[in-house]
Amino acid sequence: MNPCLRFAPMIGARPGELPDEDARALAEHLAACSACRARAADGDTLAALLSQALLAEANARDFSTFSDEVLARIPAYRDAAAGRRGTSARPTDGFWAWIRHHRFATAMGTLVPALAAVAIVIYVGRGEGPGPDDVLVQVTAEGSATVLDTSDGPVVLFGEDEPAGT
Amino acid sequence: MNFPARTPVRMMEADDLALVSRAKSGDAEAFRALVVRSQRRVYAVALGIVKDRDLAWDVSQEAFVRVHAHLADFKGESSFSTWVLRIASHLAIDALRKERTSSKEDVDELRDPDLAAAGEGILATGLGNDPQQNLLRRELATHMTQALAQLPEKHRAILVLREVEGLSYEELAERLEIPKGTVMSRLFHARTKMQALLRKYVGVRPAPDDEASAPAERAGTRRRGDS
Repeated sequence: MNPCLRFAPMIGARPGELPDEDARALAEHLAACSACRARAADGDTLAALLSQALLAEANARDFSTFSDEVLARIPAYRDAAAGRRGTSARPTDGFWAWIRHHRFATAMGTLVPALAAVAIVIYVGRGEGPGPDDVLVQVTAEGSATVLDTSDGPVVLFGEDEPAGT
Repeated sequence: MNFPARTPVRMMEADDLALVSRAKSGDAEAFRALVVRSQRRVYAVALGIVKDRDLAWDVSQEAFVRVHAHLADFKGESSFSTWVLRIASHLAIDALRKERTSSKEDVDELRDPDLAAAGEGILATGLGNDPQQNLLRRELATHMTQALAQLPEKHRAILVLREVEGLSYEELAERLEIPKGTVMSRLFHARTKMQALLRKYVGVRPAPDDEASAPAERAGTRRRGDS
């Protein structure tokens, strides 16, 4: 392999940009290779002239309206930025903006607990022990009572301490 | 920033900071002064990257508008002009990406013919790098920018960011989102192509196979501007 192929891309590196080993090898190669020294000189010339050339192009252009045009663009940009953020300053806007930006997280955050609650209700309903069918509402002349029929006997949940007929 | 400085840099930066402070408090004229001080440099960088004058004009103005919107965030850790140029080059690269076609770009592998195409020492001998002398050569500036405009956009961008904005390999890798090795090879290709294009202007045919005699031949080469 032509050693210049290895070193040519390293030419023009600034101090500290190459690993020490590569920097040493490049310096040794440059000392021995006139072609790569010439490439390095070309690179220096190009670097020196390029910015001058571009600045010369800029200097050839009329900038008399530039700053006015910049200042004229500022309100439109500010309005657009405000529109992106939302134009209202109410304290709840941040919350609703967060909700709008995190629709999926919000939906999941609402849905998951709801589904969990349904699952618990179904699980409890299918389990052993007193279920909804065991809950009776007894209506007497004195009033009404909700009674849970357990293996230990009727338990009054709401109403009179003693269920009717006991 | 690699542009030649006419005003002592520290004095200019101090002035910039004073203007930034006034602009932060809502002084529009202070901001206008900041724009005027750096508008040509910002435009030059944008033009170097996007090559289209109207697009460069638009990108430059947009850079200042963004700067104005984020003045409160400017802490003075870098100079104001460095900050503006960074924003401008970001916008210019974004503009290029938006306009990029789906055509496959050439690869950055390095081959022997690439070395020959560069034409060793042609620029250094033919053009010299004396800023004062070359600054006056408007024709050279035109040829340089025309040559730059002929480069593929990726080569144009990396060359301007390196040689004009002065970014390091690490910064280039970060800005262009490419590995450091690709930065080095892409820079080499960009320089090589630029030099090949400028060879026509210099009017010299390189003799890459004759390395030993090349320096002597180049020293005797007649410069186009000397006639």
